[in-house]
Amino acid sequence: MNRFEKASIGAVALMLLAGAAIFFYAPTDWLQGPAQRIFYLHVSSAIAAYGCFAVVLLGGAIFLRTENYAADRWARAGALVGVVFTTVTLVMGMLWAKKVWGAFWVWDARLTSTLVLWIIYAGYLLVRRLSEPGRQSARLAAVVGIFGFVDVPVVHFSVTWWVTQHPGPVIVNDALPPQMLATFLFTMFCTLVLAAVMIAIRFRIETLMDAKQLIPGPVQVVIAREPGGVAGPVQ
Amino acid sequence: MNPFRVAIAVARKDLRSEWRTREMVPALAQFIVLALLIGNFAFQIDFRNAPSIAPGILWLVLVFAGLVAFGRTFAAEREQSSLEAMLMTPASPVAIFAGKALAASALLILCEAVLLPALSLFFGTPFSADVVIAVLLATVGMAALGCLFAAIVARVRARELLLPLLTLPLWIPFIVAGGQAVQSAMGLPGRYDEAVGLLIDFDILFVVLTSLAARFVLDE
Repeated sequence: MNRFEKASIGAVALMLLAGAAIFFYAPTDWLQGPAQRIFYLHVSSAIAAYGCFAVVLLGGAIFLRTENYAADRWARAGALVGVVFTTVTLVMGMLWAKKVWGAFWVWDARLTSTLVLWIIYAGYLLVRRLSEPGRQSARLAAVVGIFGFVDVPVVHFSVTWWVTQHPGPVIVNDALPPQMLATFLFTMFCTLVLAAVMIAIRFRIETLMDAKQLIPGPVQVVIAREPGGVAGPVQ
Repeated sequence: MNPFRVAIAVARKDLRSEWRTREMVPALAQFIVLALLIGNFAFQIDFRNAPSIAPGILWLVLVFAGLVAFGRTFAAEREQSSLEAMLMTPASPVAIFAGKALAASALLILCEAVLLPALSLFFGTPFSADVVIAVLLATVGMAALGCLFAAIVARVRARELLLPLLTLPLWIPFIVAGGQAVQSAMGLPGRYDEAVGLLIDFDILFVVLTSLAARFVLDE
C-alpha cells in the first residue's frame, strides 16, 4: 500500500467518524429538525472549497512570477477539488433550502456568488482542457484563476443590497450549543483533511500526466546519438 | 515609445479596418434589432409592463452583442498572424491591449447607439441621459474584461465556446449594478446614485486588474 492509499483510507475513516458525530452526537435542532444536520458538511465543504481556490490563486500567482510548473500543477489540482467541494456545498444547500425555505433556490447574495464561483472554476477547468498543455495554457489559466478569486467577493458585494435570506455566521456569533460547535469543528477538520488528501493525489496525477507529455522541460535539446549510447532528451 | 500614442494608433488601426470592411457594426446592428424582435414576441409587452421588462432585454441584448464584438477583437490578428508581429515591436503589450480594448469598446458604443433608441422606439421606455450614463459606465469595465478574455481564448481551441463561459460570470457585477441603475432610470424603484457609484468602482477595479494581467496574456 503506498502513502496515497494510506492517506485516502485515513481521510475516508475521518469522514465516517464525522458522519457518526453529525448523526449520533450532535443534538437535533428544535426549530429546523433533522435538516439542520446538513449544516455541518455544507459549511465545511464551503470552507474547503475556498481553501482549494486559494491554492489556485497562489499557484497561479507563483507560476506567473517564477514559471515553476509545480505551482501550476498545484493550481490545477486545487481547481478540480475546489469545484467538487463547491458542488457539494451547492447541492447540500439546495436540499436544506427546500426543507427550510420551501424552495431549492433563491437569488440571494451568498447563493449567487457561490454559483458564480462554481461557473468560474468550471470554466478554468475547461480552459485547461481546451488549450494545448504547456506554458501558454498555464499562464492563461493563472490569469483566469486570479480573476475568478477577485470576482467572487465583488459579486457578493454587488448583490448584498438584495435582502439576504441565507443564515448569518453562527460560529463567530457564538450561537451554537457546545455539542453542535464540537461536531462542526470536527467535521470541518475532517473535510479539510479530505480536501488536502484529494489535492495531493490530484497533484501526483497531474505530475505523472505532465511527465508523460514532457511538459516541465522548457528547453528540450536532442543531442546527436553517441556510439553505443542511448539518445534522449537532455535538459 | 509613448504607450498612449501606441494605444491610440492600435485603436485607430482597428477602427480603420472596420471602417473599410464595414463587417461588424452592420451585422451587430441587425443582431440587435432581431434580438429586440425576439424580446417582443417572447414577452407579452404592453405600455404597463414595458418599464419592468425593457431593462432586462437591454442587458441581455447588450451582453450577447458584446460577446460577439469581443470574440471578433482578435479574429483578424489571428487570421493574419499579425499579433506576433505587433508584439515584436518595442511597444508595450499593455499599450497594444489598451488599443484593442479601446477599439472594441468604440464598436460596442456604436451598437449601443443603435440599441438604446431602438429600445425606446419599440417599447416606449424613456431614453434619458441617466440610462445612457449607466450603459456607458458598464461598457468601460465590460470592454476591459471582454478584451482580456478574448485575448486569452484567441489561443485556445473552441474559443467561441469558451469566451461566454469565462466572460459572463465576470460581467455579472456590471449587470447587477447596471441593471439596477437602468431599472431606476426607467422608473422602477431603486437607488440610481448607489448603482452608478458601484459601476464606477467596478470600472476602476477591473480596468486596473486587466491592465496588470494584460502583460501575462499577450507577452510571448
